[in-house]
Amino acid sequence: MDCITISKPAASHYDSDSDMSDVETGTTSSGLNASVVTPGELVTDDPVWMRGHGTYFLDEKTYSSVAGTISRVNRLLSVAPLRGRYTPETGDHVVGRVTEVGNKRWKVDIGGKQDAVLMLGSVNLPGGVLRRKSESDELQMRNFLKEGDLLNAEVQSLFQDGSASLHTRSLKYGKLRNGYFVNVPSSLIVRAKNHSHQLPGNISVIIGVNGYVWFSQTQSANPSYNASLNKQQAALSSGSSAYTPGQGSVSITRLEEESSWEIYSDVNDDIKPTVRNTITRYSNCIKALAHCEIGITEQRLVAAYEASTAYESAGALVEREVMESIGEDIINAEKMRG
Amino acid sequence: MKLSPAERSYLHDSLALQPPIRPDARSPAQFRPLEASISFLPSSNGSARIRLSDGSECIVSVKSKVVLTANVSSLILVDVDVSGYRDDSNFVSNLNYHLQSILNSHFPTAVLRLTSRYSFKIFVDCVVLLHTSYPLGLLSLTTYLALKTTSLPKLVSEVNDEEVEEQPTFSDDWDQSTPLIPTNSTFQPPLLFVVAVVGDNVFIDPSREEQEVSENGMIIGYETQGVISPFNNISLSDREVKGMKLLHVIKAHLLVKKCGEEVLKALNSVAKDEGGNAIF
Repeated sequence: MDCITISKPAASHYDSDSDMSDVETGTTSSGLNASVVTPGELVTDDPVWMRGHGTYFLDEKTYSSVAGTISRVNRLLSVAPLRGRYTPETGDHVVGRVTEVGNKRWKVDIGGKQDAVLMLGSVNLPGGVLRRKSESDELQMRNFLKEGDLLNAEVQSLFQDGSASLHTRSLKYGKLRNGYFVNVPSSLIVRAKNHSHQLPGNISVIIGVNGYVWFSQTQSANPSYNASLNKQQAALSSGSSAYTPGQGSVSITRLEEESSWEIYSDVNDDIKPTVRNTITRYSNCIKALAHCEIGITEQRLVAAYEASTAYESAGALVEREVMESIGEDIINAEKMRG
Repeated sequence: MKLSPAERSYLHDSLALQPPIRPDARSPAQFRPLEASISFLPSSNGSARIRLSDGSECIVSVKSKVVLTANVSSLILVDVDVSGYRDDSNFVSNLNYHLQSILNSHFPTAVLRLTSRYSFKIFVDCVVLLHTSYPLGLLSLTTYLALKTTSLPKLVSEVNDEEVEEQPTFSDDWDQSTPLIPTNSTFQPPLLFVVAVVGDNVFIDPSREEQEVSENGMIIGYETQGVISPFNNISLSDREVKGMKLLHVIKAHLLVKKCGEEVLKALNSVAKDEGGNAIF
């Protein structure tokens, strides 16, 4: 196996001599420059449009201030940047890292312009949901979450300045352990109904909308959990409905049972080397997807994983050519399927 | 970089396993892939740039000047600049010291002698534009490439100027320039490798998170004939450093010996390849 590979920079595809002005710019009937715009490019000279984010106004004309795609809602014209920091939206499932413990709140880095806020009142504390928050909870906030801790949460609301307020008031949110953290550009994450998935190989993944991804060993369900699940399932099958209302949520009683100190534990379970190997392979796959600028979904991640099994050692996946060939495989496979 | 306790213990346990599992699945002797370009600075005698896939980037330029040998203490001067760090900071002066001292002790300054009075003094200027892990390994690889591609103008005046004092004069023709390191010479510039220790395992070219959980680090010199001094230990993480066992030293020595040859071969093939100086 090679211990080092040194490549030359990829030759640029741009011909500096060619005249850029003859590039065709599609213009729609509404007088809007179509697809993608670059900073300083004229978007429209029609003054009827209201100017939104990513645009500026000069001499009755609207220009783009970022590189991205044009989006319009009624008369509001804005440019969504292709790259840039994550902009939180209410309801987003995000992964974050605590940066600061403050007065009744934690500051959480979620890759946005500002750190998000997690109020002490928006977390589950050991002892159940009906427990009152007391002064002693304020004093021992570092026992729950401290600087550097990773957590997953939902964006509860947004402040005027665009920063987010988070909450972890569900058993699927909270502190993260038993796994490995990977960061990819947030613009590549495809918003979906569900952002936590079970992957083949006994791995769970949380693909945060903010591009923070957490791979972990799937928790073996404990007996009490199974029991309640069975009860639910029994009730459902008798109702003969395929729809599971509030899937992933739990009854308040179980919340109380499970909200022990264990949810704030820093100690990992026993993780087998095979699981660790699978996690590194998945994390290399997601980095390969990010390298190829392919939108990240669960299906593509699994497809990349399957494509990567052609390489016996997951270490081969750090090479650029390998990442690109996996990216091509995925794109071709999706084209075939249509 | 701040890791959560659970992450830290996961990474540490994976790296301490037998066989170890690195977070990006590399083998213990595997480097991260590099992207190198050479001889792209028109006004310097030799230059090289190396980029990593995570965006780390280092540029080294070699320039020369004719000096009176008696007037200078060292014929090689290294200057390191790391973006985001003050030039007089500990971090930068340590990097500078390591590069300067290995070149002072393992670079034959005889090749820089022009006449009995005059010599070339070479200035090795390094810029680290971005780094995620300890940049010494990257700096050393780039410096190697820059020195390999350095050419010096051809001397046309008399070599022996002991009796008649004469300023050295050089050929105008750059095509006649001679490489600093002759292609047939057995001598190669020295390299420095950074090795991290976790548990009983050692790893070459540690990434940032590997450094963060490492218990110890080593800086090891290498030249064509094998491992050379220095054999220093450094702390790669902000945490307290643990002691080192004899086993670690032996393992690190074998690791560097194993990688060194391949790294030299890869670097030499890059240095030889003159065609197409596309840098972007």
